[in-house]
Amino acid sequence: MSWFRDALQRAGEYDRLVNIGEIARRYFVMNAFDGVLTIIGVLMGNLTAGVREPRIVVSTGLATSVAMGISGLWGAYLTEAAERERDLDELSRYTLTDLNDTRIARASRAAVVAVALVDGLSPFLAALVVLTPFFVIGLFPAVTWAYYTSLAIALLTLLGLGFFLGHVSRGNVVLYAVKTGVAGVVAVLISFLLGGW
Amino acid sequence: MGEIRRLVLDTLKPLEPTIIEMADELSDLGGIAAVNISIYEIDRKVENAKITIEGENISYPRVLDRIQELGGTIHSIDEVVAGSKIIDDSATLQD
Repeated sequence: MSWFRDALQRAGEYDRLVNIGEIARRYFVMNAFDGVLTIIGVLMGNLTAGVREPRIVVSTGLATSVAMGISGLWGAYLTEAAERERDLDELSRYTLTDLNDTRIARASRAAVVAVALVDGLSPFLAALVVLTPFFVIGLFPAVTWAYYTSLAIALLTLLGLGFFLGHVSRGNVVLYAVKTGVAGVVAVLISFLLGGW
Repeated sequence: MGEIRRLVLDTLKPLEPTIIEMADELSDLGGIAAVNISIYEIDRKVENAKITIEGENISYPRVLDRIQELGGTIHSIDEVVAGSKIIDDSATLQD
């Protein structure tokens, strides 16, 4: 287990050096929020279009989740790598040395991978959680029940993200939960109106 | 060959890792009994640090490696004491 302790110690050290935790937390909330709202759109689109075949909801939902995951992973990797490289170059100019073989450089490279993983996995997993009822469709008497359960899970996930944000800000957790939850309700209402029309 | 017992270095280092971590890492090296780091100038991203190291047998290459590993660079070696005991520079008439 000493390698695990070493890895944890190194992760803590890298976190202190380049603030991995803070930026990963930000990406996690932002992208999980994105993932849930997008999947609400997919669900509402299917519901209002009269799709009653769970297989179609699962395949459109999964395709959307995977696309969001890849988008997050790729986008974050590229932007984060570019930003970190620029920061390191700037620091190298200040110190007048090549910093590529230093601990800061290694921490920066680790940060890029960690942030890209968080950015890719958070919308993918959030969307997957919301779609859960469609994976166990046999438990529901009708497919519309699965839709409503999924939407309820989506709202609960949004509330959870709000609580998390409130906890991070050490502010009013309920207020943050209301703010994130309202976004979900607005998405459902607008999708419903658009679908009905 | 006589052992290096005191080294005073003028260095430039990034703000992170902090001098606490740097002192901790340097004092972990073998042959070093004490490390003192003081900041005499601070910039937006870097700071100038005077590092004083004392010990029974200081390995300069290892000190250099560790400072570079932490992103620092040595501007000058301002004082070295080697031998079986530590002596300070003597006052002369010019002083």
